[in-house]
Amino acid sequence: MISLSSYAFVSMILFSIGVIGVIARRNIFVIYMSIEMMLNGVNLFLATFARYHFNMDPQVVTVIVISIAAAEAAIFLSAIILLYRSKKSLDTDIFTSLSQGEKS
Amino acid sequence: MIDVVFIGLSFLAISGAIAMIVYANPMYSALGVLISMLSVAGMFALLNATFLFMVQIIVYAGAIMTLILFILMFLNIKEEDLPKEPKKFQLIAIGAVVMIPLNVLILEAVSKLPAKDLSVIDSDFGDIKPLGKVLYNDWILAFELISILLLVALIGSVVLAKKRKSRIKDEIDPQTVPTSSQTNKGEQL
Repeated sequence: MISLSSYAFVSMILFSIGVIGVIARRNIFVIYMSIEMMLNGVNLFLATFARYHFNMDPQVVTVIVISIAAAEAAIFLSAIILLYRSKKSLDTDIFTSLSQGEKS
Repeated sequence: MIDVVFIGLSFLAISGAIAMIVYANPMYSALGVLISMLSVAGMFALLNATFLFMVQIIVYAGAIMTLILFILMFLNIKEEDLPKEPKKFQLIAIGAVVMIPLNVLILEAVSKLPAKDLSVIDSDFGDIKPLGKVLYNDWILAFELISILLLVALIGSVVLAKKRKSRIKDEIDPQTVPTSSQTNKGEQL
């Protein structure tokens, strides 16, 4: 029988890998995908407890989180396009100086 | 039987996430995230959340990851444009050491809870109708705020991605003729 702990284990692993990706990587695309991975882990945790307590409220929260992630995707990807146009790079260390005229 | 499905899905989810943080090329990372999200969708199906299963596949795997792959191909990133990450694996190890105590804490707390049967049942729990009833009765304020947020994101992304390169270009080299910025507009991203 699949227990609550096994779902909690998988969702915590996904969340931790998201945090590690934000800490360790410098590619801005991978950082964005790590944020999505953290949201995914939290969604799995919420759905697990919805099934555990037989209550619909966590699933509603999950739907809201997914729509926030969709809104975030649009803003984040257009910001990435802007940054790539002005800096010609995906490195987050280069984005620390955001003045417009300076090249790299 | 269900146990085997769960083990396979969790293996795919975790290995996709590991592939995301290990590969240097963001295209491979995006494919790893895609595998991971599809596996999480399968776990939603195992948890009787049928509507979430569909939403996860349509919104995450269908819309968001397609958008990411589209932007990746659109920017046409070359191998030398990728950031150099010489200390990647040391940083991953440090991050793992930081995250292990939190994981142990959560798993200890969860294992203290009384065990319940989480198997798939034949009821309308997690279907679209009870979820819609809860969403439009108890969570109506959050729903309205989400609609405003989506409108703001729509307008904001259009404003952000609008072409305003010509002004920046004139600041960099002012000797360019003003008509050249007009002709360049078509071939810019």
